[in-house]
Amino acid sequence: MEEDEFIGEKTFQRCCAEFIKHSQQIGDSWEWKLSKDCSDGYMCKIHFQIKNEPVMSHPETFTHGQTCLPMEEAFELPSDDCEVIEAPAASQVIKYEYHVLYSCSYQVPVLYFRASFLDGRPLTLKDIWEGVHECYKTRLLQGPWDTITQQEHPILGQPFFVLHPCKTNEFMTPVLKNSWKINKNVNYITSWLSIVGPVVGLNLPLSYAKATSQDERNVD
Amino acid sequence: MHYPIGLLFDLLASSSALPWNITVHFKSFPEKDLLHCPSKDAIEAHFMSCMKEADALKHKSQVINEMQKKDHKQLWMGLQNDRFDQFWAINRKLMEYPAEENGFRYIPFRIYQTTTERPFIQKLFRPVAADGQLHTLGDLLKEVCPSAVAPEDGEKKNQVMIHGIEPMLETPLQWLSEHLSYPDNFLHISIIPQPTD
Repeated sequence: MEEDEFIGEKTFQRCCAEFIKHSQQIGDSWEWKLSKDCSDGYMCKIHFQIKNEPVMSHPETFTHGQTCLPMEEAFELPSDDCEVIEAPAASQVIKYEYHVLYSCSYQVPVLYFRASFLDGRPLTLKDIWEGVHECYKTRLLQGPWDTITQQEHPILGQPFFVLHPCKTNEFMTPVLKNSWKINKNVNYITSWLSIVGPVVGLNLPLSYAKATSQDERNVD
Repeated sequence: MHYPIGLLFDLLASSSALPWNITVHFKSFPEKDLLHCPSKDAIEAHFMSCMKEADALKHKSQVINEMQKKDHKQLWMGLQNDRFDQFWAINRKLMEYPAEENGFRYIPFRIYQTTTERPFIQKLFRPVAADGQLHTLGDLLKEVCPSAVAPEDGEKKNQVMIHGIEPMLETPLQWLSEHLSYPDNFLHISIIPQPTD
């Protein structure tokens, strides 16, 4: 317990700055936003994604998975286009907004996010839980309320979904200790985000990891 | 936003007479502004999440993590069913601190003002100074919310309210945390404009 690796707020900000520097190099659109009173800030990224489960009335066109909406709310498609989807209907595109904030209570970063359809309709907590990747589903089902919940954004005051931070040290400590053993430079934010991001659909290109290890002696 | 009702009253309606008349809406839920309240489980989870965060600040989560699931359940059931003794049988452990310290590691608090975009101010703040002196409510405000405290010679612009009362600014913060915290173990402090009589 005493050996847990926390990060201070200054380290958090420094790691974010380095992370954003690389993001700018590869055109990944992460930005740093300041709070209105400028006393702190957070990293922010918006991306668009096509929802995995097409909601249509022809069962053979499902590849897998559940529909999140009852049939009455199925998207309108002209009947003669049912066999072929040329472009996703506008309502199947989801806008995800990811924020990385610092928690002074737990002394770790926290991932906040929200999602909505293009018409502004937000996704519900149930939609979010259903959208979690299969390989994380077991963990989610063991304790959904301990994993992803809806909370007030500490800076913006709006509802966001949050990946609960209390277990962060449990998985980050071994990662950091291992890296330090082999003298590897590690950006805490890069390591952390590469672990928690995929749970909620956020993937990091590998170049982030390579960017950090440019300083190490043994380059592959 | 899942705030305790007493906090909402202090912050938004402290000058109203009781009973507090409120308007309940059944349409046009403001998705962008308010959290949904889907079930009792959601409220329990939120409450326990606040408890855990408070203990992370007070004891690096050691006390709450050492408790069994049934103790956590007892905290929630005690609150839900208004059973003071049932609640405090467990909560008292969260109010203890090692004999060699003079208080908690950090004080769980949130300061609310309706005039800011930020929903609340929450920072790391120790109850005891390096020289062993106990920090006061006034010390906290000066450090994290200086605009709330009137200058020496100036007129008092704001009320600093907890549970509907204005504690003296000289009150030790450690004492306030042990005795005036809400059930979630946080001190929820409202800064509201001084009412003009």
